[in-house]
Amino acid sequence: MDILSVNKLCKNYADFSLKEVSFNLEPGYIMGFIGRNGAGKTTTLKAILSLISRDGGQVSILGEDTVTQEKFCRENTGVVFGQFDYYKTKKLKTITGVVKEFYPEWSEKTYRDYMELFRLNENKKVSELSAGMRVKYSLALALSHNAKLLILDEPTSGLDPVSRDELMDIFKNTVADGERSILFSTHITSDIEKCSDYITYIKEGKIVRSADRETFLSGYSLINGSLDMLNEEGFKSKLIGCKTNAFGFTALVDSSLLSSFGAVQSAPATIDDIMIYTEKEAI
Amino acid sequence: MKALLNKEFKLCLHPTNLIFLSMALMLLIPSYPYYVAFFYTTLGIFFMFITGRETGDVVFSALLPIRKRDIVKARVVNIAIIEAVQLIISVPFALLGAKINPYGFNAVGMEANAAFFGLVMIMFTVFNISFIPAFYRTAHKAGGPFALGSTLVFIYIVAAEGAVNLLPFFKNCLDNFDAAYLPLRLGVLSAGIVIWALGLFAAFKKAAANFEKVDI
Repeated sequence: MDILSVNKLCKNYADFSLKEVSFNLEPGYIMGFIGRNGAGKTTTLKAILSLISRDGGQVSILGEDTVTQEKFCRENTGVVFGQFDYYKTKKLKTITGVVKEFYPEWSEKTYRDYMELFRLNENKKVSELSAGMRVKYSLALALSHNAKLLILDEPTSGLDPVSRDELMDIFKNTVADGERSILFSTHITSDIEKCSDYITYIKEGKIVRSADRETFLSGYSLINGSLDMLNEEGFKSKLIGCKTNAFGFTALVDSSLLSSFGAVQSAPATIDDIMIYTEKEAI
Repeated sequence: MKALLNKEFKLCLHPTNLIFLSMALMLLIPSYPYYVAFFYTTLGIFFMFITGRETGDVVFSALLPIRKRDIVKARVVNIAIIEAVQLIISVPFALLGAKINPYGFNAVGMEANAAFFGLVMIMFTVFNISFIPAFYRTAHKAGGPFALGSTLVFIYIVAAEGAVNLLPFFKNCLDNFDAAYLPLRLGVLSAGIVIWALGLFAAFKKAAANFEKVDI
């Protein structure tokens, strides 16, 4: 059974829409959710969490519908929306004391371990923490109530490389028992490369592709060629995105179409390449 | 609900929710429109909502494992407790104030008797059913809803004080400590309690329905 199943999720705003967003996440895996600013990552996560109303589609967590089984789904979900930005004048221990009452599965030992690992002082106020420390506190709370699904929106933003690396290790350990999964959105593609098992890419409210990392990466290729080739009939329409310079062009293409391009040089595409060329679109 | 109320008391209360309880002392002023003391209670409640907006309380609460409407329920219960505590704390000051009043009566407003407390509960109801649902239409704009609530409260106070001064029944039966009219005054108090409780329930139902539609 999937830990998270998102099926044809729709949300319409005056100037933006989520268009039938669908993807699944099985237990024991980490899914990176990528897309440029304003692509709909946070809107999708909010719709999954029922923080915003939907105009269509279903979301289920552990097989239960998130609308009809709201409480069950929330208890089994840990959420980090960026850094902890609430109750800035309160001490961490006051906030933790309140939060833990909501979760029957709260583990004081796990919480203490993470507080120690993250070097967080419970007697400090939220306003006294750095941006990175606030993210870590959010994570400590989310990881301490034994949530089966962790939904993290930009959890690594504001963190230094060492802390980010630590977090990636924590993510891997969290899902290692095969019972839990993590869905996290980020702009930092190196984090995705380090620990994601699956990648879901959203553009302008629509899922471009959702697949395991190898399938996702091997589905795209970069090709190089001369500028003359771009003028061949039907050539440009096969490109996903293209950049030109004085010597020729570099383009992102669907790997399944590689053979149709004839004698061009091809190379594997990185996540950055895929995002940059897809957003740039064919000339 | 216990966990949510714990959150309300430890993370959401504004200092004025406690400080304004001392406004009960205003009932010792010999002649005064005593409704003012209870207007401060509604002001404190408004401050709590303003602070909640600044602390991100609504978003934080929405991420907890609870139904969205439970957030509203906890807040309404919190408000009910604040109002009830304010009323209970005020009772001894009302009794003492009447006893030590050198003029022997309240020259500028209604006597702080049982009927007055019933009318204050209706004043709270006017505030609750206007302010709370209006706030949860957006869950972040508190100024407009408070302007609406406090305007209606002001109109109510003028009407209630006006009735005591202009209508003989109110003047003769309600605006005194005469033992003969005690059952009548207790009747007004009872009616106030019932209206207050029903008003809180109605405010919750309407506010919860409004909040369900809000995108956080």
